[in-house]
Parts: sequence; C-alpha cells; structure tokens
Amino acid sequence: MASAEELSTFLASAERRAFKQAQFAVRDADSALDIVQDAMLKLAENYGDRPAGELPLLFTRILQNTIHDFFRRQKVRSTWITLFSALGGRDGEEDSDPLETLEALAGSDGAESAADKVERSQVIGIIEEEVSRLPARQREAFLLRYWEEMDVAETAAVMGCSEGSVKTHCSRATHALAKALRARGIQL
Amino acid sequence: MNENEFGYRVRLALNEGAERLDYKTAYRLEQARRKALGLHRRATAPAWNAVPVAAGGPAFPEEGGASWAQRLGLAAPLLALVIGFIGIYQWQHDQHISQLADIDFAVLLDEGPIDAYADKGFGALLQTNTEEL
Repeated sequence: MASAEELSTFLASAERRAFKQAQFAVRDADSALDIVQDAMLKLAENYGDRPAGELPLLFTRILQNTIHDFFRRQKVRSTWITLFSALGGRDGEEDSDPLETLEALAGSDGAESAADKVERSQVIGIIEEEVSRLPARQREAFLLRYWEEMDVAETAAVMGCSEGSVKTHCSRATHALAKALRARGIQL
Repeated sequence: MNENEFGYRVRLALNEGAERLDYKTAYRLEQARRKALGLHRRATAPAWNAVPVAAGGPAFPEEGGASWAQRLGLAAPLLALVIGFIGIYQWQHDQHISQLADIDFAVLLDEGPIDAYADKGFGALLQTNTEEL
C-alpha cells in the first residue's frame, strides 16, 4: 500500500504535467486545475491502498477519464444552452481565445530579462500552443507516449484502444506537430 | 530526425514549460495535493482511529494489537476517574464521621465550649447528626 509520503511525492512530481495536459485539452486554466484536483482526490480516495508503483498509470487513467467527463458535461451543458438560447443572450464560450492562457503562461517569465530566456520562453509557448491544437486523440497519445514516457501497451490501456491505433495517433501527431512548428520557424 | 527524437525534444520543452508555472497555479496545485493527502489519510485510517485522525493525526501505530491497546488506553483514565471519585467520597464520609465522633466525645465529656449549648444551630446540628446516624 502506498504511504502518505509516497503518494505526496508522486503527486508533487506529477501535478504540473497533469495540469498542463488538462490545460492542453480543455484550454482553460481554472477548469484544468479543477480537473487535476478531482483526479487527485479520486486517486487518494479510491486507490490509496494500491502499491506506489501502480500510482502513475492509475493517475494517468483517472486524469484522462476526468478530462473526458469534463467534455461530456460541457456537451450536455452546451445542448441546454442551445435549447434555451432564445431565452437569453449568448455569452459565447468561444469568445475567449484559448491561446491567451498559454500566452499568459509563456509571458509569466517577464521578469527574466535575458534575451535568450525570453526567446526560449516564446518557443516553449509556441510548442504548447501547437500541442494544444492537435486533435484530441492524437494529443493524448503523443503526450502519454512521449511526455509520460509510457510504452505503447500502457498508452493503449489508458486510451482504451488498440496498440496499432496508438502508433497511428502518435505518428500523425508527430508529423502534424513538426509541420506546424516548421511553419512557425521552429526547428527542433 | 526520427519520431522518438522529436518526441524527446518536445518533452524537454514541455517539461520546461511545466516548471514555469505561475505562483498562483503552483499554489492551487499544492492545495489540491494537500486535500488529496488528507482524504488518503482518512480513507486508509482504521475505523477506530477515524475520530483521532480528524482531530490531528493518529495517536497509535497502525498495527494489529493497536485496537486493543487503544481501547485499554481509553478505558484506563475512565477507570482511574471513577476510582478517584469513590476514594474522595469515602474520605469525605470518614472525615464527617470523625468530626461527629469528636463532637460526641466533647458532649459526653463536657469538654465542649459552654456557648455551644446556648447556640440553636448547635442543637440543630446534634439533632441532624443523630438522625443521619
């Protein structure tokens, strides 16, 4: 069973990446924070008795499910909004530029005046933007494989698809991302 | 550049981006983590330990015999309290009897102060004590 210290260490190591993944998916910092918190609570409450070694895979799966739940709820909500749109004004969730958050994050290092740091920060911001723009399944596969360092089988288990689909998603994501970055003058 | 190498370079950039989170976000993530850890402690604590954990942490190690020790630990102070009350009551009762005996001796030996016999309260005391005994 994972001790409180092991769980704390794991969450501390995973929380930032989890937040970023959620933010890439939902494109809203507050919603991403809520998603990460929900995932943490679910892990602690329902899987706290599991060995520490199982926590990364469990947490990743919970996080992905929580992101999917968010979109399901959003879909239901938007259905009701559409139904009752004649009764009220349209606030339009699409009004906000989803990339503003990323730009703000990228700009949070403004205090660092060194030119190379600024440039580096901009490059990171662009990479995050382009990752965020990938189709959902491609982004999920790409991040699980190359950011979470899962193998193909683990990624397939988390995504609930075949290993062949994971490879296809990853390949397409890689090519799409490389092309988008090249178009913006970034050569990795 | 192959797919793995590209993925590795993107990973480095994403890691760097994750490390550059603003203070507010990092703080909220820390709060979420603390909340989850609190839930983990409550979820994994033994049933008998649920209340002490909520009050600030387990008081006994989570081992097999701890439940028995915990119950004994709770019962011992209560038992000591009851014994203490009985002791105090017994001591006060003995003191009372001793005082009455002193008064009786004084009355029988005519050693009591003469004013006492003129005091109505003293007569009432003797009457009451006689009824009590």
